[in-house]
Amino acid sequence: MIMHIDLNSCFATVEQQARPMLRNRPVVIVNRRTEHTMIVTASYEAKALGVTMGMSVKEARKLAPGLVALESDPPKYQFVYHKLMDIMKRYSAHITMKSIDEGVIDFNQTTDAIKSRNLVDIGYEIKKSLLEEIGKYMKCNVGIGTNRFLAKTAAGLHKPDGLDVITHENLRDTLATLKLTELTGIAGRNEARLNKVGIYTSIEFLDADPVTLQKIVFKSVVGEQWHRRLRGWEVDDVSHDIKTIGRQYVLEAFDLSRTQVLQRLHHLCESVGHRLRSQNKAARGVLVTAKSRSQGHWHARRMCALPFFSNQAIYAQASMLFSQAPDDIIKISITCYELEDSMGDQLSLFGDQLASEQYVTDAIDEINKRFGDRTIHAADTLGTGIYVKQKVPFGSTRYL
Amino acid sequence: MNDETFLNERIEVIASFGEGLNPCRPVRFRRTNGRVINITEIGLRHPDNQGLRTVHIFDVTDDGADYRIEFDSERLTWRLTREMDHYEPVV
Repeated sequence: MIMHIDLNSCFATVEQQARPMLRNRPVVIVNRRTEHTMIVTASYEAKALGVTMGMSVKEARKLAPGLVALESDPPKYQFVYHKLMDIMKRYSAHITMKSIDEGVIDFNQTTDAIKSRNLVDIGYEIKKSLLEEIGKYMKCNVGIGTNRFLAKTAAGLHKPDGLDVITHENLRDTLATLKLTELTGIAGRNEARLNKVGIYTSIEFLDADPVTLQKIVFKSVVGEQWHRRLRGWEVDDVSHDIKTIGRQYVLEAFDLSRTQVLQRLHHLCESVGHRLRSQNKAARGVLVTAKSRSQGHWHARRMCALPFFSNQAIYAQASMLFSQAPDDIIKISITCYELEDSMGDQLSLFGDQLASEQYVTDAIDEINKRFGDRTIHAADTLGTGIYVKQKVPFGSTRYL
Repeated sequence: MNDETFLNERIEVIASFGEGLNPCRPVRFRRTNGRVINITEIGLRHPDNQGLRTVHIFDVTDDGADYRIEFDSERLTWRLTREMDHYEPVV
């Protein structure tokens, strides 16, 4: 069996836990202290008034008078993430953190002592541990099912603070209450594909013939996977290799000079370089993108014969590509791709220059690890730190 | 937008060091202006690693306002770093 644990409105709840005076009032978390910034998370009190993710703070204030907007505080959320992970590890060595606020426990490979226990009891025990070890305002949803999909679906049935189990006995009844788009993985495009063959409800999707799903609806093995997934067979226990590492930044003002934009790009390159090396990777490709107010989206990419890993090398490629970028820029991003395992000591085979670059980069990383991030950084990024801050990485938990 | 005042004020703190999951519990602190704040609840304690140095951050309240106080485990000093706006309690 699989258990899915989802912290409710995670960042807002953590802030309400940390600041008792914010409890029971509408709170939203944003990444920047401006009225036009998008909301990252809303508390349940704010959601009840119609505030949703992606809305601007200005719009939200109209719906929720007295709304409190707080800037995200990543170290706080990382602490809660690690606490949740510690609690989950008590029940199985096979846990997967799906993102900063949700994780999965695989009970199929745990000890007999744990397997013999009732999973509903374990679910309530986890909720109790969260309250005792983080704080009394913390709530989570627990879902139990035979595979990751059904466990996640169960975790979404009664928010906040619910606990639900989906088994073969209540599978049909549960799916009958859900719209197609309420199933994880079915959004507008997949819904349209299903509608084309007359599938409009989750029950019709469950009853669909696997050949129709595979040959007509999804036109690939994905159709067969959906057939199995809906019936509780595990098809999602797969890990994915890192394909790209990147960062993007919406400029804090839209009238910055070209030099100032380049400084922010340099800051992003340092951040991406750090992430790349933290995963023991080197890259061969760089992609730089920009969004211009007058000319829309722009991108340029470049592949190199030899892999690179240092901030200096990434910035050298990126700045060269950026020289072709349009003016009027409002957003920039850099992505390293064609990743391969870092060669480490073998770099000396390619000559002294690469080897010395490796030694200097290692020394800088060591100093930054010891004395704090950005103790040593490029001189022209001296003033960018107050703008280009490290934010909460959604989706990936690699850098937590 | 901003409901917090950012500070960097050295404070005197009375704390208890006991057992359990949160062994260090600040009880009250005195600000440089002499005002004494009695802590009624520790909302959250989390570490912030600044290189190899760990600063323990305590978000606390005295039921009148929320505060952030930080304990530097290397220098053994306490600082008041944030004072939040007062809100009327929601029943």
